[in-house]
Amino acid sequence: MKNLMFNILLVTTGVCTNLVADDHGTLTFQQANEVGRAKSRFLKGVDVEEKGTEAIPEANVADYQASVGAILNKNCLACHGPEKSEGRLRVDELNSDLLTGPDVERWREVYNVISNSEMPPDDEPDYALADADRGNMVDWLSAELNKASLVRRNTQEHSSFRRLTKYEYNYALQDLLGLPYALANKLPPETVSEDGFKNSSELLQMSIMQFENYREIGLQALKRATVSGQRPEAVTYILSAQEEMEKLTAGDNAKTFDTKDESNRKQRKQQYLLNRETGKGIPFSGGKVMPRPEAIVGLSPAVSPVVHILHRNNELKLDLDRFLPDEGILRVRIRAGRSTMNPDEYASLRLIFSAHTSNNANFSQAISEHDIPVTASSDNPEFIHFDIPLSDIQRNPFRKLTTTFPRRDEFLHIRNVSNAPGGEEALQVLIDTIEISAPFYEQWPPKSHTDIFFASDNKSDEAVYGREVLNRFLKRVWRRPVGSQELDQFMALFVKYRPEFSTFEDAMLEVLATTLATPEFLYLIQRTTTGETQDPTGPTKISELEFASRLSVFLWSSIPDDELLQVAEQGTIRNPEVLTAQIERMLADPRSRRFSQNFVQQWLGLDALNNLTHVSDDSLKEAMQEEPIAFFDEVLRHNHSIMDFIHSDYAMVNERLAAHYGIPKVYGPQFRKVSIEPQTNRGGLLTGAGVLAMNSDGKDSHPLKRGVWMLKRILHDPPPPPPPNVPEVDLTDPEILKMTLKERIADHRNKAACVSCHSRIDPWGIAFESYDAMGTYRTHVKNEPVDATSELFNKQTLAGMDGLKRYLLTDRQDQIARAMVHKMTAYALGRPLSFGDSADIDNLTGQFMRNGAGLGDLIHLIIRSNIFNSK
Amino acid sequence: MNNKSASLNRRTFLHGTGLALALPWFESFAAASPNPDETPKRFVSVYHPDGVGLPLKSDPAWKDWSWFPRGGEEDFELTKVLDVLEPLRSDITIYSGLSHPASRRVHGHSNADQYLTGAATGGHGPYANSISLDQVYAEHAGNLTRHASLVMSTNGGVGGPRGAQTQSFNREGRPIPAMNKPKQIFDMLFVTSSKDAAARLARSKSALDLLIENTRSLGRQLSSRDQETLKQYLDAVRDTEVKLAKAQRWIDTPVPEVDTRNLHLDAEPKEARLYFQTMYELIYLSFLSDSTRVATFQLGRENGEGPHDLLSQAVGLGGAHGLTHDVKAPDGWKNLGTYNRYQAEEFGRFAQRLKETPEPTGKGNMLDNTLAMHGSASSSFHLSRNYPIISAGGSNFGFTNGRYLKFGKGNEDNQAGAGIVTDAGWQGNVEVEELPLAKLFVTILQRLGVETDSFAGETGTLSRV
Repeated sequence: MKNLMFNILLVTTGVCTNLVADDHGTLTFQQANEVGRAKSRFLKGVDVEEKGTEAIPEANVADYQASVGAILNKNCLACHGPEKSEGRLRVDELNSDLLTGPDVERWREVYNVISNSEMPPDDEPDYALADADRGNMVDWLSAELNKASLVRRNTQEHSSFRRLTKYEYNYALQDLLGLPYALANKLPPETVSEDGFKNSSELLQMSIMQFENYREIGLQALKRATVSGQRPEAVTYILSAQEEMEKLTAGDNAKTFDTKDESNRKQRKQQYLLNRETGKGIPFSGGKVMPRPEAIVGLSPAVSPVVHILHRNNELKLDLDRFLPDEGILRVRIRAGRSTMNPDEYASLRLIFSAHTSNNANFSQAISEHDIPVTASSDNPEFIHFDIPLSDIQRNPFRKLTTTFPRRDEFLHIRNVSNAPGGEEALQVLIDTIEISAPFYEQWPPKSHTDIFFASDNKSDEAVYGREVLNRFLKRVWRRPVGSQELDQFMALFVKYRPEFSTFEDAMLEVLATTLATPEFLYLIQRTTTGETQDPTGPTKISELEFASRLSVFLWSSIPDDELLQVAEQGTIRNPEVLTAQIERMLADPRSRRFSQNFVQQWLGLDALNNLTHVSDDSLKEAMQEEPIAFFDEVLRHNHSIMDFIHSDYAMVNERLAAHYGIPKVYGPQFRKVSIEPQTNRGGLLTGAGVLAMNSDGKDSHPLKRGVWMLKRILHDPPPPPPPNVPEVDLTDPEILKMTLKERIADHRNKAACVSCHSRIDPWGIAFESYDAMGTYRTHVKNEPVDATSELFNKQTLAGMDGLKRYLLTDRQDQIARAMVHKMTAYALGRPLSFGDSADIDNLTGQFMRNGAGLGDLIHLIIRSNIFNSK
Repeated sequence: MNNKSASLNRRTFLHGTGLALALPWFESFAAASPNPDETPKRFVSVYHPDGVGLPLKSDPAWKDWSWFPRGGEEDFELTKVLDVLEPLRSDITIYSGLSHPASRRVHGHSNADQYLTGAATGGHGPYANSISLDQVYAEHAGNLTRHASLVMSTNGGVGGPRGAQTQSFNREGRPIPAMNKPKQIFDMLFVTSSKDAAARLARSKSALDLLIENTRSLGRQLSSRDQETLKQYLDAVRDTEVKLAKAQRWIDTPVPEVDTRNLHLDAEPKEARLYFQTMYELIYLSFLSDSTRVATFQLGRENGEGPHDLLSQAVGLGGAHGLTHDVKAPDGWKNLGTYNRYQAEEFGRFAQRLKETPEPTGKGNMLDNTLAMHGSASSSFHLSRNYPIISAGGSNFGFTNGRYLKFGKGNEDNQAGAGIVTDAGWQGNVEVEELPLAKLFVTILQRLGVETDSFAGETGTLSRV
């Protein structure tokens, strides 16, 4: 009943919003989209002019002559002129062209003191500046300064020659060596460009610390990928529910109970072992297990009638004592089934590792990367397994003590993470067998080893075999065939190292580690002398092999695989059919998920979510982080129009986020597409809880942040940065405290110094006001109805979020499309775009819009574009 | 022999020894080269677990056995716990009202980990730490000496999360193993020079030569603009070469000869007095020979057991940790106070020795050029507030001593949490105002010459220091 009431309320307010007068208030979103598309300049079929639309700004000297110059003369010249030149500033000598003139830094100082009302000084009433004059000056100066910085930034040509980012380097190393672990945590984080990208060439610096880290990480990773000697004996624990039951019931005082007896409800609420045939139960929640030297792992014994009953959010805690090895893979294999099969309920397993380091302190940490769902029924249980790299998790450092304090044992917890409600027929996980074994090897030597030290007839001849090993490895490291002389260099190093090591492999690893520190591994290379036929009129093309690397870094954030290298080497990679097939193959590969994740995180600035303190529920924060990525991925995989980013009639949610949005009947931790009703007030990226929460101040919404975010990320029209020392809104002033947020903003905006920028930002942000700091939809703030209606500087009224979306769809499609093309091209090239790229971007946007603005098409268009194929 | 373990990478190897060789991650490395005429600035921090005695005013033991002095900034009066420092009165500063905010409600047993880091290490669940004060300074000054820092504790190694046996944590928040055997420390400082290290350096040298050659030939195939970018890489390789050459120089330079009369290299913690004095003497000798300028020393681990519990035998008392639990027993406060007094006495002896030694460069005495801290991350029973801290020296770089500096508000007589022996104390609400200890750390770093204005998320220095 409560829910129903709530829905009615929402519907009513939804209607109210629609009734607010604006030009497009009566259009559905789909109609708005059609209206907007019809207006697209890019669809008029005219090929865009050579120079591009992003014209190079020109200085507005006219306004200076008309008003600003006169104001300066009247109010400033007396102290900053020929008579007196305080602060060595003469306003009469400043060049009024900020774009090409030499005085831009002095102008910036003028701007700062004028906008902060520091000048003219209070004690010079004769020269006091009228509000209108101050406003004029600030307007002119902020516009000119912004243009000047735009010009400075965008006239500079940038190269795509750059080193790999931290995350790309990590993936490259993982793919190269076949190691699925985080290898590059040591590297410092990357600096973020003005566009929000971490892969921007001009910011990817190299330093001694960076370089030393590469050398160290490379050698360590190689040592992890390879092995020596005999296969190590594994330490194996086996927990069989049947055996535990036998042990527990052996004694005289066994606490056995009849699970079918209603009076034993209390015991049934705890964890216990159950004989499904007899209905006998006995309390059990883990305990000490010891390694079994003779155990064989990987078997599938007959399913036992005795099972361990694990309720939701309960943990089976096993004391493994101190026998787990220091490194290698810990494989935990669990045969589990579900007690009930209601598809709306899920149960999954998570591993947690802990130890007691002091009598009042312990540590515990989830060691499984993802919870693994239990999907089999209890009648046909199936094995699920976890592989945990032991050297990467926090271990009990006291495990090797000879004394017994501090405690030396280590604990493995198996937790049932579930959304199932409690009650008599609740979903439980039934487990009959657990195998814990380390170090675990799929094969010996492992594949990661034989990929480097492969079988060869020449193995006995170190000089020959060494060359073979180097050649194969170096080809993948450099993403190109390796010359004989180049091999000589590294073989010489090997010969030098060899006497210091007892085995061929150990010496070779040091040499291979050196190849991982070469610039051709760490950088994306574009050579000038590749023998390409050069078109003297156009930009130079990159070679096929360089193209392959650029492509794989774009779509996989990593180095090319063998197939991609092969078509590049054969010279067919740019054949339209071959290229289409390769792009499709790459997008279908799980590695392309890295693209969605890294591009979206950077494009939307999702890192900001990591610093939020007001979202304390980790599963919600994770879902907030994931939603835009899943949404992007959905649009990409189905080649939907990017206008879905503005509004969609579906959402990508999991159970946690659906609950946050009030979307019913979404169960489970995985994200999926669901249709949504208008009264949900979601759809698209703008209403994602993550975007809304990160653009808030921790307590309430933050219209300014939201407006700036919108302009920067979606419209690619970033406002100029605020002047320094902007006065904070004085919250101790009782007059200000009385105002609503919107009034406060208006009050601030009405200050002459602030109005020019704020009138361009605030209205966008105010349209988001129906969402609070958690991104929850609201109709009231402090008992006052939400006022989310605003007027843009162009007098356009935005009636809340729906109004904003309609306006964007009807009037801003070209801008949104161009922004998307711009952002993704900058990311694909790994460099900032300049004025010189403007024509290319316009061209691409035209093709993109004509194709229907499908996100999948955009990937193909960019990869085929001139700009992506050129240096 | 298994070559894999023998060829542990350089840093693992060095960390494993408890001494980081003079190869810190130091960016502006090229700018800093040792100048023999320049007076070193040194930093040492001594940590003792389990806090100090803090009886209530109403307790008869208060007058003699409350750790904190009574009185004002300059006219303070030391109780029997610290009266052993009276001869050094003008060389020391005593602080109250300081603690790390993130751990004020965490059990004292978990807090040795965060004393020098200020990280929110907590009491249970996932664990992460951050760089310690000494290591920030070691990043700055570590390349001027053979060893970047000297990390010692009575128990040795790293301990465990929330059971640290080292005070030093690196930039990634990982613990740096502490050395605890005097003989080993001495050998590392004054006897050995590693053959292995020399071989590794030679290998690195060859690898760098190859990389430079390889980079040059690549550079010839790039546009001039891209060559500029590649130059950064080449510079990084060259800087590494310079650094290796420097490390090589240390290997080639004979270790200093020192006066070993006061050393008892076989002393063990159960011979507490000899052991203490030897460990302090090793710090003294490493400073005197300018083998390092940074040291930490942890006297045991929180929660007793192990060597630390034996230290109180120096004053004829039972397990050190038990003393904090037994304060309400007959002579309880006195016993704890007597042990704390002994700790202060050894610290004082060390400070005195620095004071009596003229600085080799002629600028004052060694104490004037050393900031020596002594403290704990708990005061009263398991209470992670109002850390009892003493510093000595540093007068040549800005420290004015002879003062008792009270910070915060509402606890001027150090009675908040006094006299407690139950967990209600450390779990209770924070009712008085204390200042973040990290602000003192910023002050210290700035005076040591590190350009920074924040530590562990706290910005700004501590006034009056």
